[in-house]
Amino acid sequence: MKSAIIKKLSAISGKKSPEAAGSPEGSSKGSPEDRVARRLSLHMAMAVREIYDAIAMEKNRPVSMTPFDTLFKNFADAPEKILPTGPRKKIGIYCMAVPEELIYAAGALPVRLCAGSGDAAEAGEALFPDVSCPMVKAATGFTRTGVLPMYRECDLIIIPTTCDWKVKLGELISRHVPVMMLSVPKFKAAESSRRFWYAEIRRLMHALEKVTGKRITRKKLRAAMDMMHKAQQEFRRLQTLRMDDLSLIRGRDAAAVANAWFYMDGADWTLAARNLNEELLERKEKGIGTAPRTAPRILLTGSPVIFPNWKIPDLIENAGGTLTCDELCSSGRLLWDMACIDEPLFDDMLDALADRCLLPCTCPVFTDREDRKTRLFRMIKDYRVEGVVHHVLKGCHPYDMELRPLEAELAAAGVSQLKIETDYSPEDTEPLRTRVEAFVETLKGRRLRMGKSA
Amino acid sequence: MRVDRIRLFVQALCFVFLIYGGLTIFSIGTAIPTMACIYAENRGGSCFLYPFQRFLSMPWAMLFGSAATAFLIYLGTFFLWALVFGKTFCGWICPLGFLQDLITKIREWVGIDGSRFAWKTRDRFQWVKYALLALLILLPMGIGNSLLGLPRFTPDLAVPFCQICPGKPLIPLFEGDLSHLIIDFSSTTKLVLSSLSMLIAGLFLVGGFVKRRYICAFCPMAALLSLFDRIGFVGLKKKGEACTCCGNCFRACPMEIREIAELRDKKHMVTQDCMLCMRCIEVCPENKALTATIIGLPVFSASAEGFLKRQNKTASAGGPFHGETPALQDTATDPESASK
Ligand code: SF4
Ligand code: SF4
Ligand code: SF4
Ligand code: SF4
Repeated sequence: MKSAIIKKLSAISGKKSPEAAGSPEGSSKGSPEDRVARRLSLHMAMAVREIYDAIAMEKNRPVSMTPFDTLFKNFADAPEKILPTGPRKKIGIYCMAVPEELIYAAGALPVRLCAGSGDAAEAGEALFPDVSCPMVKAATGFTRTGVLPMYRECDLIIIPTTCDWKVKLGELISRHVPVMMLSVPKFKAAESSRRFWYAEIRRLMHALEKVTGKRITRKKLRAAMDMMHKAQQEFRRLQTLRMDDLSLIRGRDAAAVANAWFYMDGADWTLAARNLNEELLERKEKGIGTAPRTAPRILLTGSPVIFPNWKIPDLIENAGGTLTCDELCSSGRLLWDMACIDEPLFDDMLDALADRCLLPCTCPVFTDREDRKTRLFRMIKDYRVEGVVHHVLKGCHPYDMELRPLEAELAAAGVSQLKIETDYSPEDTEPLRTRVEAFVETLKGRRLRMGKSA
Repeated sequence: MRVDRIRLFVQALCFVFLIYGGLTIFSIGTAIPTMACIYAENRGGSCFLYPFQRFLSMPWAMLFGSAATAFLIYLGTFFLWALVFGKTFCGWICPLGFLQDLITKIREWVGIDGSRFAWKTRDRFQWVKYALLALLILLPMGIGNSLLGLPRFTPDLAVPFCQICPGKPLIPLFEGDLSHLIIDFSSTTKLVLSSLSMLIAGLFLVGGFVKRRYICAFCPMAALLSLFDRIGFVGLKKKGEACTCCGNCFRACPMEIREIAELRDKKHMVTQDCMLCMRCIEVCPENKALTATIIGLPVFSASAEGFLKRQNKTASAGGPFHGETPALQDTATDPESASK
């Protein structure tokens, strides 16, 4: 209890706990820690280069992907350049449930630290039970080794208590970085939950003010929310463009664009996304697509897909499907839900922010799946989806728990589905490829039959 | 322009007309289903409830005899008003509604946080308006007739609801008439009723300052109008499949109607407290999740594009982050036009 209080206090003052480990350079060259770090940095760089070598061979890729590519190549070439430079404080966050507007309003930069590197997961593995979420393992791996400096240089890291892994993640990494836990109520429908969450958001606001030393005013919050809306506008535009019959962008690239939001400054991201949207609009007019019109339209849902883990999107699209949309907290859902700026008072604006982060969220950590189900059905209709791929990371219990009932509901509506249970490692790629190819073939066959009968 | 700004403007116009309209030669009658108080000398139209209670206090023989035609015409007029405009009376026309909105605007302008009913409180008191409605029908009846063999009530109970309605003391104030701000000691009934009236008028002001549309939650006129919720010309429809349950509408709703956000399988959303202010549509970011209709035809629909446009105007202070976004074509975030 006592140590919890100390940790909380240190979190708020932006200091590390006394037992904090030294930076990787500090430890002696030959220590096991150091070896793990070097291995990770080497392997991850290889993985990133491999991705970009393959991308270089692709035809028809929108050129406006360049700023995003530059960002991700930095993971291999210059990890210290991933985040924008400047005197701004950096606030690490671990989930969509943190209102980034507040962080911007406090004059800081939010950095979403959810990690997708299989090599980092290996580096963090030792601290976890056998079957556990690769995302938290990877995050721990990066934090432990300090291979990506951003995992160490955040002035505060905010972890919402969504799934059980995140609940315990805070304690694990607080050796290295100042952590603040944000308690998420799991039963959204109750008034008490909402009031509790409103209070948590206010606690967060005070913590941010303390760390940054700046007061969050109504005007600043308004500006931040407005900035967010601009980004959300481009985000929605991109998602709407993808509803077109022609696949204008690969699903992997669309995921990358969303992922880039994790690390870029909001306004810069909006600019880059706007350019991309303009280009996609042009391509739409010219009829340039990234997949033939015969490619079955696929929706990806389930556990997050985070760079460099492009395994699933690539499998789908290399098998001849087109990933038209996804319902993932790392991409398709990331910037969708919008808060109201025109609430009359500061207090109401905070409530609006809190609501945005909690109520429309379709994460399976909440008690019922009604919202997720509605969203999936709506996406299936809007994007004219032919097949749904469920992505379950091994150890991601919430998505796993929701899978069976959800599958049954979708099946009852006649939706073809494929369930993929995997982790970040490339080991199972070949068997998965066979399954995904078979799935895409079935969808193609179905389309032919439907076309004939029509 | 924000819907609630337009609304405030319309409300102000209606207020002026309803309170001072009589100074011109216009009047739109005495069967208006809204709290345009009959105690205001120069009114341009007046509240249905006063004559209604008067009619009901007639002895049966008279009500169903010599006064029957008049009563029927009167009810028919009310019916038409209510059918055509329904709850828009509450959102856009009612002087008491306007006064409450004005008080709220003042509070917001001063920067004092408002408060909301706890969900339980709101749910628990929903019967009050129906009880008041029943009383304002039964009590007058008991004056002209003997109900169930009871002795006839004292005529001091005449127009019982008007005697406690906040309209009576407050609305005449706008014509400089302070005469209803009194406690009447002439009989016990009058003493009780007039004290209640002062209390309720006070509640109107204080409650209205603390919480949006405080009195409306208990208003029998709303109970009466809600009989027309389903059949009225003006409707509010929800498309559940588009709703993300984001709660924007619930938070913005001045009547704190939870159902608007939480019910996905209900199509008609004019609920018993709804005043058709359309604020919920304005703040809904999902295409066509909410739609206002007139005789079934859509007139105002929620859309991501419209949401962003309106919000952008509100935030037009600009802020340090960004220049202006170029205006997008309306189709940019609309799935239906995108697929074409
Ligand atoms: S006192 Fe109230 S109920 Fe009576 S006429 Fe006036 S506004 Fe209507
Ligand atoms: S509910 Fe409010 S707006 Fe409607 S008639 Fe009553 S006082 Fe007026
Ligand atoms: S439900 Fe909508 S229209 Fe009805 S009162 Fe609430 S905000 Fe106004
Ligand atoms: S604002 Fe729209 S999307 Fe949000 S809960 Fe209300 S109706 Fe649903």
